[in-house]
Amino acid sequence: MALKVRVRPATRPTLRVDWTEVGKHSLLLLACLIVVFPLLAAVIKGTQTGAMVSGASLKVAGFFWSNLREAWVSANLGVYMRNSLIVAVCVTLGKTALSLLAAAAFVYFRFPLRGALFALVLFSLMLPSEILIVALFDVVTRLHWTNTYAAVIVPFLASATGVFLFRQQFMQIPSSLAEAARMDGAGPLRYLWHVLIPLSGNTIGAMAVIQFVSAWDQYLWPLVIIRDEAHQVVQVGLKGLSSAAEGQNWGVVMAGAVVSIVPPLIVFTALQEQFSKGFALGGEK
Amino acid sequence: MNRPTLNRPTLNRLTLALALSCYASSALAEPLTVEFWHIFGDAKRKGFIDQKAAEFNAKNPDIKVVPVVKGNYSENLQAAILASRQGQPPALVQVFDVGTQLAADSGVFQPVGNVEKTDYGDYLKPVLDYYTLQGKINSLPFNSSSPVLYANRDLIKKAGLNDGALPATYGALLRSCAKIKAALPDAKCITFGASSWFVEQWMAEQGTTLVNNGNGRAARATESNLDSPAAKNIFSFIKKLNDGGFYSFTGKLDDGAGSAAIFTAQKSVFLISSTADLGNQLDAAKQGSYRLGVGLLPIQDGSARNGVVIGGASLWIAKGIPDNVADAARTFALFMTNTANMKEWHKLTGYYPVRKSSVSELRKEGWLDSAAPQTVAFRQLLNTKASPATAGALFGGLLPARQIIQEGLQKVLQGQDVDSVTRDTKAQVDKVISDYNKSLGK
Amino acid sequence: MDTPVFKGRLFPWLLLLPSLMVLAVFLYYPAVQTLRLSATASNLITGNARFVGWENFTDLLRDPSYVQSAALTLLFCALVVSLGLLVSLSLALLASSVRRGARWYRLALIYPYALSPAIAATLWLFLFNPEVGMVNTVLGDLLGIRPRWLDTPGLAFGLVVMAAVWKNVGYNVAFYIAAIQNLPKDVLEAARIDGAWGSRMFWRILFPLLSPMTFFLVFANLTYALFESFALVDILTKGGPVMGSGGATRFLMFRLYTDGIENYKTGFGAAQAVLMFLGVALITLAQFRFAGRRVQYGA
Repeated sequence: MALKVRVRPATRPTLRVDWTEVGKHSLLLLACLIVVFPLLAAVIKGTQTGAMVSGASLKVAGFFWSNLREAWVSANLGVYMRNSLIVAVCVTLGKTALSLLAAAAFVYFRFPLRGALFALVLFSLMLPSEILIVALFDVVTRLHWTNTYAAVIVPFLASATGVFLFRQQFMQIPSSLAEAARMDGAGPLRYLWHVLIPLSGNTIGAMAVIQFVSAWDQYLWPLVIIRDEAHQVVQVGLKGLSSAAEGQNWGVVMAGAVVSIVPPLIVFTALQEQFSKGFALGGEK
Repeated sequence: MNRPTLNRPTLNRLTLALALSCYASSALAEPLTVEFWHIFGDAKRKGFIDQKAAEFNAKNPDIKVVPVVKGNYSENLQAAILASRQGQPPALVQVFDVGTQLAADSGVFQPVGNVEKTDYGDYLKPVLDYYTLQGKINSLPFNSSSPVLYANRDLIKKAGLNDGALPATYGALLRSCAKIKAALPDAKCITFGASSWFVEQWMAEQGTTLVNNGNGRAARATESNLDSPAAKNIFSFIKKLNDGGFYSFTGKLDDGAGSAAIFTAQKSVFLISSTADLGNQLDAAKQGSYRLGVGLLPIQDGSARNGVVIGGASLWIAKGIPDNVADAARTFALFMTNTANMKEWHKLTGYYPVRKSSVSELRKEGWLDSAAPQTVAFRQLLNTKASPATAGALFGGLLPARQIIQEGLQKVLQGQDVDSVTRDTKAQVDKVISDYNKSLGK
Repeated sequence: MDTPVFKGRLFPWLLLLPSLMVLAVFLYYPAVQTLRLSATASNLITGNARFVGWENFTDLLRDPSYVQSAALTLLFCALVVSLGLLVSLSLALLASSVRRGARWYRLALIYPYALSPAIAATLWLFLFNPEVGMVNTVLGDLLGIRPRWLDTPGLAFGLVVMAAVWKNVGYNVAFYIAAIQNLPKDVLEAARIDGAWGSRMFWRILFPLLSPMTFFLVFANLTYALFESFALVDILTKGGPVMGSGGATRFLMFRLYTDGIENYKTGFGAAQAVLMFLGVALITLAQFRFAGRRVQYGA
């Protein structure tokens, strides 16, 4: 028995409750609970059926799989999720590439109209496609893009947020690096590829999360422009479940919704380190 | 060969080529593609449509019907009009009742009765009346419904009331409510969404048109009848329900789903909702193990029961498509609404079977004499007297007008007096009507 | 830092070309079309586009219910931005100050961002159904009150503000945590030893260092409140309840959607889009001016 007794090193402080820390954790836990609650509710409601769903009950019932099956079949979720994935990945990659190029131009070159063009890019934040939908429809049909992935990808490839954030990021990279690269005879593209991009991994990851989610959430535009089920996206399918005039089954809607957020959640979890480190707007280095 | 991914322009060109070639032989031809845009994304109704399209395609190898779910009613119509303006109309479109005048004014649809000689006499008259404009049948009725009174019979019994006959007038309902309030502290008497649809129905039941010029059917409507005694009866009834503490609703306008939730949670004894809600209500009653009753829509005391206005949607055929595609679309629409299919549709969803032959077959099967709750809704429709009032209002501004009427209901619920509310509501709706008429001035 | 590092006349244009082309074709060209539409009484249904000059604009500005919508929208934006940033900054500071579990808090706080606005709003609607919703069931049992969330103007307005703040907390927290982690180590250490935020330390040192992020987030949240919270309004309140000469939550974007899209009055909707755009442009300008002096923001 005696052998099991271990003497604590004298240097180690005695166990003491840090009440500030406890307070912080309780506050955070409470905040998380409030913030996460609707998400949990969605999962629980997805297991219920009929009248239970719209009521107060938070009992887990056993209908998740039957709800999911119904959502999967009637909202064509398999095909739609594949399409949304294609669209979201293409938009994310394309936006990132285009924003990197544009930001590099704004930071590393001086040319006439630079300020005006930057303003032009930023202003696009104020023109959500919802308010331009009629005119946009006209453009895209004239391009004969109806029913193609291009119709839901290309119009969203330019990103004001992306250009803005990459510009901030590049400005924080010491200009001596670029100077050195220039001395070595490296062109701007090589510099972008070999220096800027590796140094901007976090910003790229963070941007990817935001772009992915916003592309995944597209609804009104694909609804109008995509008219064949083989190219339709998941939000339209989900809305179809809940907008069918009278008599929708909310349990099915919730089950479908829960499944539809799995891809964004995977992207979050995978990129969470980058996401939380990526926006280096704070440091003035 | 017929991959569903075949893109639309290609198909369009193909069908056009087909239409133009005078020696098109069916052996060489691609099947004609008929896009059918509808709004039913739920398993039950989408399943029905997909299954009927598949059956039809199997029977008609030269036609390929492709059903597409297109958001809600408003979005569906908008998408169809945008597509038509770009020269790529979907052949067959489901348009909601309120959109009837809009669809007609858009000029992108052709009256369904145009090309083929079909006997439409088999369609129920009150239903067909709604979709007949200036004597012409514009569209084929498809999903049609009207409001009925749902009741929780167990709660009625608990309140010590006779659970046999449900109240059929405002007065009877208010009397029941007073007793229920005294007997059941945990439940309200009645719930329904604060919806303009009910106001429209109650106008028709009293034989009053919603707008002038024969409900906009003899000529374009120029003003509403929202300050008529009939309208005041309705708003006063709502006020009495609310003042008595009998009425329960979520507070959001036109929130039928919220009211249904209140009813199925047994927090309300009565619910007014569409016949199309019947399937859900039966399921909910089974789950909550209470007995469900269905009764006629309660109406103004002393008024004759003139009947209900048909609500729901109909099938429209686009203009600017080759005639053979239009024919194919019409053939499919007729097939989907044929005698057997309408019977099936009715039993599946609670929507009316829109054909007389379906009704008489159902009667022969004993369905109508059975205690099936579907029959109540049915009788309500079959006993409807044909008149401009029950044919339903027709005007371009019906959609914004509904919003105004609903706001009027809310004002009454907030305690404003009926006379001033109906006066304001009329003035606002009249402005919508005149604005719309002005926008037509070419 | 403002010296151009790479030389080239055409090259920067080449780099910008893809972005500019996309913007020109899919944003600015439709925007110009929209501007043109705003001077017409264009109606999607009838296909008419009668030129009416300024009529749409004068109609809007003279309409008391439009003015009310604009005022409510302003209030809504101000609340969503200020409350949203306040809550998010506090949570971010809290989450980065704990010694353990920061990673998990971060994840939990960010996850709701994945829920699409429409689904989020539907859930809120279930929760706040005054008769049978969770919230009132609990409030009724505990406190004996059952607030009428959806038809009391003040409560409905507050509910939409809450929902909008909630929906964007994850996004804001993520950005703030990032900014905090990128602060100089000694500042962070000092803040940690000093203990309390709300202290002079926070307002004098931490907050100014976070100001570029705040500046960015104000803008992002403003556009969010203006445009993206549309789905919340549409599902939770449909612009109601009736108040004054309109609805308590009938914000500009909801109006634009109902008039321009649901009621098919394209020209009228376009005029509203133009007015909204002018409003945002004004606010942005003001913000740049104001921030230009106070934010170390870089050229």
